[in-house]
Amino acid sequence: MPSNVAFDATDIVLSIVKIAVILGLWLNVTPIMVWVERRGSALIQDRPGPNRVGPFGLLQSFADALKFILKEDIIPAQAHKWLYTLAPTFGLIPALTTIAVVPWGRAFVIPEMHILGRTLFEGGRVFNPIIADVNAGILVIFALASLGVYGITIAGWSSSNKYSMFGAIRASAQMISYELSLTLAAVSVLLVAGSLRLTDVVAQQSDYYFVLFGFLKLPAWNIASPAMWLSFIIFFVSAFAETNRLPFDFAEAEAELVAGYHTEYSSMKFALFFMAEYMAMATMSAVITTLYLGGWDIPWYNEPATFFGFLLSFLAFMAKVSFLMFIFVWVRWTIPRLKYDILMRIGWKFFLPLAILNIVIVAAFIAGGWL
Amino acid sequence: MEYAIFFLFAAVAVIFALVVILHRNPVVGALSLVASFFALAVMYVLLEAPFLAALQVIVYAGAIMVLFLFVIMLLNLSHAPEPSTRPIQQFLGYTSSAAFLIGLIYYISKYAVTTSPTGVFQADARTIGIRMFEAYVFPFEMVSILLLAAIVGALYLSGRALPAASSSEVGK
Repeated sequence: MPSNVAFDATDIVLSIVKIAVILGLWLNVTPIMVWVERRGSALIQDRPGPNRVGPFGLLQSFADALKFILKEDIIPAQAHKWLYTLAPTFGLIPALTTIAVVPWGRAFVIPEMHILGRTLFEGGRVFNPIIADVNAGILVIFALASLGVYGITIAGWSSSNKYSMFGAIRASAQMISYELSLTLAAVSVLLVAGSLRLTDVVAQQSDYYFVLFGFLKLPAWNIASPAMWLSFIIFFVSAFAETNRLPFDFAEAEAELVAGYHTEYSSMKFALFFMAEYMAMATMSAVITTLYLGGWDIPWYNEPATFFGFLLSFLAFMAKVSFLMFIFVWVRWTIPRLKYDILMRIGWKFFLPLAILNIVIVAAFIAGGWL
Repeated sequence: MEYAIFFLFAAVAVIFALVVILHRNPVVGALSLVASFFALAVMYVLLEAPFLAALQVIVYAGAIMVLFLFVIMLLNLSHAPEPSTRPIQQFLGYTSSAAFLIGLIYYISKYAVTTSPTGVFQADARTIGIRMFEAYVFPFEMVSILLLAAIVGALYLSGRALPAASSSEVGK
């Protein structure tokens, strides 16, 4: 909290550096992921995929981005102009800001630095690689995730197109339904960690469950504990529904709804929806990593509290996030779309009771002292 | 710094609250209310209660206003219904609002100036949870029963509105 702890100009500079690093990474997620998606789908479907622009088609995304910028920006005559223009931003902002409460590396002590005889950093200052370490971190994530609905709903409504409207209604109903299971599944993680702060959740997971003969150790990642498997499965599947990815991409469902809520969008406004989808995916992967895969923790290795240790832990975090994002792509091109009634039935009649049951079980385990 | 943020977001909250009641389009009104709630959440952060700020956004912006927006969009209310022009309704409306405003100003001026909060202010999940399940457990449970009754009532009313649907079709 700013008023309790001394907060000076250096802190502000460090905050800006953190925001710049994460913003830069997250903005670049979309071009990279579009390439991974297209090449990955080609791999799965046994065809070459984009391979003309640059080595392995790597520059294809830049060509696409340029095309998006140069295309004509069309606003339908019947559309509500203000909301039609603002809707892509409503979708993008929650996806971008959620990452602020996720820790992305081990905290380290900044060494004393002198440049031209002036002390740049005094000794003992700790660099905590998280933008906002609030004591309600996980709630902030769900608060912002619940706002993702507005981008889609407003886009669908303001377009004055029945397909957009149907897409928007489907997508919002789906997101609201799966938000419940998502939140309830995460409760068991919070019960184990005993805190809503995500740095505490990661710190708890960087320990070991048991040590056998001094060398056989099991990292205390939540995914390693059988009691958390149910919660992990519910959270992981709900994350697909929450990010509107196949097999739950009813917002778009090309075969039925033309392109769903963004049917009427063109040019860079359409690209913003695209970016929002991939950023939401990246953020969801980061949240899953933090809650279940030990965050930035490297198993069987004690990262030193130096810049080197931070760098290693940051790379571990990015590796886990990338792996999860690849699974998102993999699932998309492997599992076909479900029927809408099946989606709703799974959400309300299967996942929701299961998530509540899971909380009771985990709470009983904790009360019994087994976790 | 804190004053600057406070006045900025207080202005945002008031402006969007005015848009809610003055704008003709109900969808714009609903979205302005969301913006106003957001500005209120910033107030909670300034009061060092990020937990309350997150709850404010989850409950009001994320849950309640989404339902409002849904109803407005599904009923296709492109314009707000014409306000009633019967003089007795207008008279009652204006007098009750005026009375409420006067009461509000009176109580704020009476209490906000003389009594400032004392002691350590804590609004984290632990403190609120313990309070809710110990000191205020009865009102807490009463509210949950009230909400349950509202849900059952809504289900009953929506079921009765569709006499054509047979009982076997409900739930599919």
